[in-house]
Amino acid sequence: MLNKISGHQVDRRLLLKGAAAGGLGIAGATLLSGCAPGASGPMTFGARTVDESPTVQLQGLVAAYTAKTGNEVAYNATESNAFQNNLSQYLQGTPDDCFQWMAGYRMQFFADQGLLEDISDVWDDIGDQYSESYKIASTGLDGKQYFVPQGWYPWGLHFRKSMMAEIGMKPEDIYNWDDFMGALAELKGQGLIGLASADKGGWEAMGTFDILNARINGYQFHVDLLGGREKWTDDRVKEVFRHWEMMLPYQNTNVLDLEWDGAMQLLLQRQAGFFMNGSWFGGNFLEQSQEDYDDLMIVPFPEINPDHGRDTVDAPVDGFCVAKNGGNPDGGKDFIKFAGDMEGVQAMLDTGIPLTSANNGQDKSSYDAFQNAQQAVMDEAKYITQFLDRDTRPDFAGPIVGPAFQSWFKDPSSTDSILESLQSQWDALAPL
Amino acid sequence: MSSAAQLEKKPVKRQKLKKRRTFSRTDRLTLGVFIGIPTFLHVALVWFPAMATIYLSFTYWTGIHIGDIQWAGFANYENIFFNTPIFWDALRVNVVWLVWFGVIATPLGILLAYQIDREIRGHKFYQSAYYLPVVLSLAVIGVIWNFLLRPDGLVNGLLGLEISEAVSFFGDDRYNIWVILTMASWRHIGYIMLLYLAGLKAVDATLREAASIDGATEWQTFKKVVFPAMKPVNIIVIVITIIESLRAFDLIYIIYGSSGGLPILGVLVFQNIAGEGASMKGAAYAVILFLLSIVPIVSYLRQQFKEDVS
Repeated sequence: MLNKISGHQVDRRLLLKGAAAGGLGIAGATLLSGCAPGASGPMTFGARTVDESPTVQLQGLVAAYTAKTGNEVAYNATESNAFQNNLSQYLQGTPDDCFQWMAGYRMQFFADQGLLEDISDVWDDIGDQYSESYKIASTGLDGKQYFVPQGWYPWGLHFRKSMMAEIGMKPEDIYNWDDFMGALAELKGQGLIGLASADKGGWEAMGTFDILNARINGYQFHVDLLGGREKWTDDRVKEVFRHWEMMLPYQNTNVLDLEWDGAMQLLLQRQAGFFMNGSWFGGNFLEQSQEDYDDLMIVPFPEINPDHGRDTVDAPVDGFCVAKNGGNPDGGKDFIKFAGDMEGVQAMLDTGIPLTSANNGQDKSSYDAFQNAQQAVMDEAKYITQFLDRDTRPDFAGPIVGPAFQSWFKDPSSTDSILESLQSQWDALAPL
Repeated sequence: MSSAAQLEKKPVKRQKLKKRRTFSRTDRLTLGVFIGIPTFLHVALVWFPAMATIYLSFTYWTGIHIGDIQWAGFANYENIFFNTPIFWDALRVNVVWLVWFGVIATPLGILLAYQIDREIRGHKFYQSAYYLPVVLSLAVIGVIWNFLLRPDGLVNGLLGLEISEAVSFFGDDRYNIWVILTMASWRHIGYIMLLYLAGLKAVDATLREAASIDGATEWQTFKKVVFPAMKPVNIIVIVITIIESLRAFDLIYIIYGSSGGLPILGVLVFQNIAGEGASMKGAAYAVILFLLSIVPIVSYLRQQFKEDVS
């Protein structure tokens, strides 16, 4: 027994050593390529994912770029939370020339700090392939562009077609809150979880808050609340939590023990009827099997207040930026132009990993059923929000809103005191 | 001290001084380098960041441009003490952690060390078994236990529970702290055991013999003879217990990430200072944590050394 344990331990140490050596290798590669001169020389690309599907997709893009230009690209991958936590230090140190990032406030903040390369000239070349809204999403506070979109995905209610067919439920017919509550009750009656939910990571539940707030109080109130122009203590926000509380009996009880992928498992394993999440996880279903992916479908979150209908959707845009402190910013710009151009998009599509690109050139007739449904969710919305942690101050979203929602799950009756605390913490934020 | 002794000491001192003067240039250079470089590194890597953190805790700053630093006075501290409920939650967890380590884990480690020192049957096995986790970092321990206890982990699998019905070891507020403390103790007990065992081995066997000849019971011998003889080790054990409980971070970070799943001060420092949301509230948390750790330790050590002097 003991030998067995210590044997494992050696393995683990070797593993760690390997990891350390790998890390050094990556750091070495970064340093080396940092010395490379010129616009067309070797450059480095920083991916903020280590997951299987997106990695295949990005490496397809990198390979196509190298094949076309002959420029070497070092591919450095970091797990997304770690990447986010280190971003500020990363951009001030020796960052990769081009890296994966997000549109909206998160990009504008770093552009404003002078850490991102102005790529307006790239937009002069490829801008006609994108609709105006994407250009706005890529624009910093100074009116210049700092970002090139890769793809988008809507947040909505996901379900398995085969499950719903078995039960005899038609999710497409769930239009308003009463329909939705009825459906959840029916699922519960079948011994199923109505709505798979997670919040261990502290951000998952933000998507539910966003959509409830937008449905009940409308886009403008939501945006104003996140911008600090409305108060968290407003009765309208309490109304959001009152509705949220109505959903709790139909959710799994271990919300705080599951991260988003745990809740996804509930849907994958047919234990839950619906899963409120961004559609990006389609790739994870495809990793399981083609049947699982083909079985996946999305509908918009139901209407609550007829004044606002279903006019808003959280649809974050992911994409790329060029770092100012990278060793080869010209190389980074050359790469980002390729990534934004239809040629690069096609390279990503050719990997077979599902992508709903922001590029107008993607042939929408080639969309599969799930992608068409995502497009329909988008088309129904008049207003597009990014996501709570992309639409408000980062020192508010992560350290304050995240734990507040978690403590709400622990004690939903404490809504009032949690909202008061949220407001007083907003008021105490450092002046910008 | 008598005056004769003082007189005696003087020539010795002078001789020493003379000797020092005979250092050659190379000697001095060597000494300078050997002392200077570590001192420089120490100041640059320990004292400078520590002082900078204390200064920054009184400012507003996003951590990017030095020019953006704004004086904030006590605003960050006020914010933490009066507006941030999670601070008090975290403090509570840290205090529970400290009490648990102080009352349960550390005494258990001492008990084990004592039993192993007495060479009870199978002591070699216990020694290795309890020492094993000590060579693992808390981060690795977090990975192992997370694998066992998460909703789709081994334990819930063996219990035959689906993810939705899984025992919420890390999510349920009623017992997640005890789960975490058990994990942390798994290592801490072995650590204390090892330290104490080393101390026990160094206790003169004749002391115990004398005690048993005088008719002392086992407990009396430990309490009145062995324990006092182990004073230096006891001090180390107490200091380590305090530090380990307050600096706890890696285990929680592995299991909960930087979200507030089970808030502790170490994670609050990280959550506020790392990433996009950098604010000097994190620096203020760091200073609070520093004071919490240093004040009891310094006062304890001072008292101990005072006793030694008298």
